[in-house]
Amino acid sequence: MLGQYLPILALGVLAVLFAAVSFVASKLLAPRRPTSAKAAPYECGIVPTKEAPERFPVRFFLVAMIFIVFDIEIIFIYPWATIFEGLGLYGLVAMLIFAFAVFESFVYLVGNGALDWGPLKKQVPRTR
Amino acid sequence: MFFAQVAPDSIVTPDIAWTALVPHLVLAGGAILMLMVWSLAGRWLPRWLPSMVTAAVGLGAAIGSIHLWRRVTDADRGPFSAVADSVGIDGFSVFLTVVISLTVVFAALLADGYLRRERLDGPEYHVLLLLSAAGGVTMATANDLIVLFLGLEILSLAVYVLAGYHNRRAQSQEAAIKYFVLGAFSSAFLLYGIALTYGATGSTNLVDINAYLRSTVLVDDGLLLAGFALLLVGLGFKVSAVPFHTWTPDVYQGSPTPVVAFMASGVKAAGFAALLRVFVVTFGTYADDWKPILYALAVATLLVGAILAVVQNDVKRMLAYSSISHAGFMLIGVHAASADGTASVLYYLAVYSVLVIGSFAVVGVVSGTGDGATTVGDFAGLGARRPWLAFAFTVFLLAQAGVPLTTGFFAKFYAITAAVDGRSWALAIVAMLSAVIAAYLYLRIMIAMWLEGSDDDAPIRVPVGTVVVLGVAAAFTIGFGIFPEPIVDLARDATPALVNSP
Amino acid sequence: MELTTTWYLVLGAIIFAIGASGLMIRRNPLVMFMCVELMLNAVNLTFVAFGRELDDLGGQVSVFFVLVVAAAEVVIGLAIIVAIMRHRSGATADDLSVLRG
Repeated sequence: MLGQYLPILALGVLAVLFAAVSFVASKLLAPRRPTSAKAAPYECGIVPTKEAPERFPVRFFLVAMIFIVFDIEIIFIYPWATIFEGLGLYGLVAMLIFAFAVFESFVYLVGNGALDWGPLKKQVPRTR
Repeated sequence: MFFAQVAPDSIVTPDIAWTALVPHLVLAGGAILMLMVWSLAGRWLPRWLPSMVTAAVGLGAAIGSIHLWRRVTDADRGPFSAVADSVGIDGFSVFLTVVISLTVVFAALLADGYLRRERLDGPEYHVLLLLSAAGGVTMATANDLIVLFLGLEILSLAVYVLAGYHNRRAQSQEAAIKYFVLGAFSSAFLLYGIALTYGATGSTNLVDINAYLRSTVLVDDGLLLAGFALLLVGLGFKVSAVPFHTWTPDVYQGSPTPVVAFMASGVKAAGFAALLRVFVVTFGTYADDWKPILYALAVATLLVGAILAVVQNDVKRMLAYSSISHAGFMLIGVHAASADGTASVLYYLAVYSVLVIGSFAVVGVVSGTGDGATTVGDFAGLGARRPWLAFAFTVFLLAQAGVPLTTGFFAKFYAITAAVDGRSWALAIVAMLSAVIAAYLYLRIMIAMWLEGSDDDAPIRVPVGTVVVLGVAAAFTIGFGIFPEPIVDLARDATPALVNSP
Repeated sequence: MELTTTWYLVLGAIIFAIGASGLMIRRNPLVMFMCVELMLNAVNLTFVAFGRELDDLGGQVSVFFVLVVAAAEVVIGLAIIVAIMRHRSGATADDLSVLRG
């Protein structure tokens, strides 16, 4: 029956309602005293004098990629954790092997200086 | 304990037959250990060491397969499955495991001189090579469609990176992105095919699927046939069958030459392993449904590969198209869907891997620093400048053309025999036509090498590793071309089997 | 009206088709990667729907592996794009900091 999906529909309606009410309420209740600084896209800090650089430094992508790798580890650890007792030693050993393989990528990253933040020093020579 | 109540008390954990996994473990473990050692102590290790270690690991995986071969060809014990029936060890998978492991050895030896010349040396190339070989071996031994998919992805992901390994060459990176996008596209199709097959048969285990298809008559087999089609698209991409071949020339031209040698040998072997195991062995009862499609693919692959190869001017592109037409010959063996057909594909794969590695070894040396000089003109006068190099290339080209007294002749012979035995005479004629057209291309390179002069007298340095590869490959091609029995017998004994543990 | 398995399968097929056509039409690499994700997740939906229909855990287990593969694919794709951007642009913020030494 479609009836079982009613809560989802209700949730969706509630979310839309909440957003709409928030917008309308802030329009009605908030005092409006605009200044030029407040009308700028970002209110805080110094007024920007030049456009933000279009590219992010490569480092951000690198961190994003590293994050995904370790994020994925959780997908397997979570189900394993729920039946950890039943799996016993077998599960522990299997998970340790898996964790080692993932951890190995971390060793590689540290060894290559991928996690050194801040202004770069000289490129680290990896091999002679 | 809160979860103790939720968790069932007795979960049956699979019994891991470690001995069955020796090649997988050697390749993957070798890669991981190598990465660890080099990231911790790489600065103090000599530059020639990574390729030697990789070659040793590849050789170790091949040697580790010998006991498996003894076991599966032994009449008393025979093929078996391991790790909860997800890995099947039979003659077929052990044969391809050895082929893939040996291509790793060759690719590592070729890489040594190449990477140092291009100043790209480091452990990463070799780690990725070993990982992709581990994926290929997983594919060849897969007894389950999901394991097959995982193997394919491990193989492909590593090779995508390898294709873009030359990080100062724009062509290499273009090759990587093209290969990646089309490869991801094709794996998605393959996966959708797996999902539909799972829905139609109720299992992803190849043995269960086979048993289900044998015992059940499907009233409505639309889902299953759609699954076949999508699987064929996905695997067709991997073995570069026409019309799914468009990535091949670009990727082969742009990628570093030792990587291309591995792509055309190891990756292709893994792709055909999957094609044979899934279609010929598992879906054998539905052969009438998929054979016509494969027939069309084989004809298109044979003709398009040979014809487009002739009009190229870049040797790497020529060899790419010629590898497409060779894939057509192997598709003939798949189409035959018989024991002889399978044996012909295995023999072709073993022989062609050696030929193509040898050919790209020569190309990698002649291309010079920067890996750019690969037009036919760059090969002009090679016979006068480096006679032995030109001689080795001539041997490989003649063998690829199928000249008697080389291994290539028997490869083409068995493929065409399989077609004739299957009463596909038209296919056999198309294959011979393709061989004739392609012969012109090999002749063109040979004429440039031996008859044309060149004012270019820049020295061509041939590194030691490449010399070894060229020597072994040429000896293999001529030796087993005169005495073909050993390899033919091995390919005959390497029969695929579908078994689950009792 | 009943929501049968067929609904989910059709939805999966539609999403897969959207992903496939997007991959062929769009030229922005990042959007193309999103389309690959779309295709893989459409297959996930199909797997789960079949698993439910067949009352078999295999469909759900497959999803785990597909998720991991999809993530790995994204990482590799991003890495290739980053390598290309580095090559083509020449002077990103990172390059400048290397020059300062």
